[in-house]
Amino acid sequence: MASTIVTFELGDREVEVMVRPMTTLQTVLRYQLGQTAVKEGCRQGGCGSCTVLVDGEPVMSCLLPVEEVAGRRVDTLETAMPTDGSDPLQQAFIEQGAFQCGYCTPGMLMVSRALLDHDPHPSRETIIDTLAGNVCRCTGYAPITAAVQAAARAGKDGQPR
Amino acid sequence: MSVREYLMPRSVPEAIGLLERHGQDLLVMAGGTVAMPLINDGISLPERVMSLRHAGLDRLERQGDVLAIGAAVTLSQLLAQDTVPLLREAAAHTASWSIRNMGTVGGNLFTPPPGGDVAVALLALDAQVRLAGPRGERVLPLADFFTGFMTTGLAPDELLVEITVPLAARDTAFLKLGRKHSNTPAVVTVAVALERRDGRVGAARIALGAAGPHPIRAASAEAALTGAMLDAAVIRQAAQAAAAECQPFTDGIATEWYRRRMVGVFVQRALETL
Repeated sequence: MASTIVTFELGDREVEVMVRPMTTLQTVLRYQLGQTAVKEGCRQGGCGSCTVLVDGEPVMSCLLPVEEVAGRRVDTLETAMPTDGSDPLQQAFIEQGAFQCGYCTPGMLMVSRALLDHDPHPSRETIIDTLAGNVCRCTGYAPITAAVQAAARAGKDGQPR
Repeated sequence: MSVREYLMPRSVPEAIGLLERHGQDLLVMAGGTVAMPLINDGISLPERVMSLRHAGLDRLERQGDVLAIGAAVTLSQLLAQDTVPLLREAAAHTASWSIRNMGTVGGNLFTPPPGGDVAVALLALDAQVRLAGPRGERVLPLADFFTGFMTTGLAPDELLVEITVPLAARDTAFLKLGRKHSNTPAVVTVAVALERRDGRVGAARIALGAAGPHPIRAASAEAALTGAMLDAAVIRQAAQAAAAECQPFTDGIATEWYRRRMVGVFVQRALETL
């Protein structure tokens, strides 16, 4: 069970981790690199609470052996958004009351960010389809959908357009 | 976690060599959306795992009169193509964005029911699978690839490397019933492809998901359509035949009784769109 070294970009920072074969990206991010926004939910790819971006595309980090991200860019909530909650998308979540317990929120924010990066003005239908991989047991999804709609209206700089 | 080695071959010959060397001790994995949950839960305890993500199997391209789909093409890649609309629709109705970014077309053929929605569409499209092993390659119709619940015609030393879809003129429909709006396992999945001849149905293919031990063709329903005018009476007859001949099961999603009823309803609805 020889350990291997994997190098990848975490946000703008190059990181190097020593791992046992097939350790998941989720485990590495949360327990070795302190990215505690990456939740350990179902570990089945069913809840979306571990969602991160690999080269800008959302993936379930619990299903991805860390060896697969060698040389690639990984973004977590910590690297993608400010910790003071000042990003327009975070503000929209706060204003719309788009969370209660908060466990799903990092995953919801990551997939919503990826959606708005791909499609700045998604339809409500597209937003609902996009959030379908992320489970929330508190809100009933309506405030989260409204938050993504509000953030889309506000644009990336938070200014209405 | 007891995995001793995670292998990432860079070519098909290298992958086949590793499979030959390690035999049954080697778990072959593409997107990981089926294998990883089992490994994470300790249900599957492989000693060695081989990733197919880097073996050059991620190309999707038109080659003459077929669409050639590498076994490791992701469901997101399938959703992005517009050469075969039925495959696009099937991908859109499968899992969620994050899972579609990981899960592969090849892997979908090994996903037990009620999963495997893309496989249902491929079956209706008369797809073929290309298998590579130490003695060379062979091609099988997808219909012969499925042999039972979680069993296939793949030999232990072979890899599924490509799926090819003929680009014939045909009318197609894809319908999936789930318990939720999206990202939902199937109650039933129906894919239909009809070729027309002089105003009548020429070749008819109806494939069903979550209605048997693997994606199945509804042969009696197809026979009811072949050569007929596609009118309400014929559609009803085909729908009834499909409901009678399918082999659904009971699980946490739906009962056998309900699935059989829905096969009839959804085959009828699919045909009514054509």
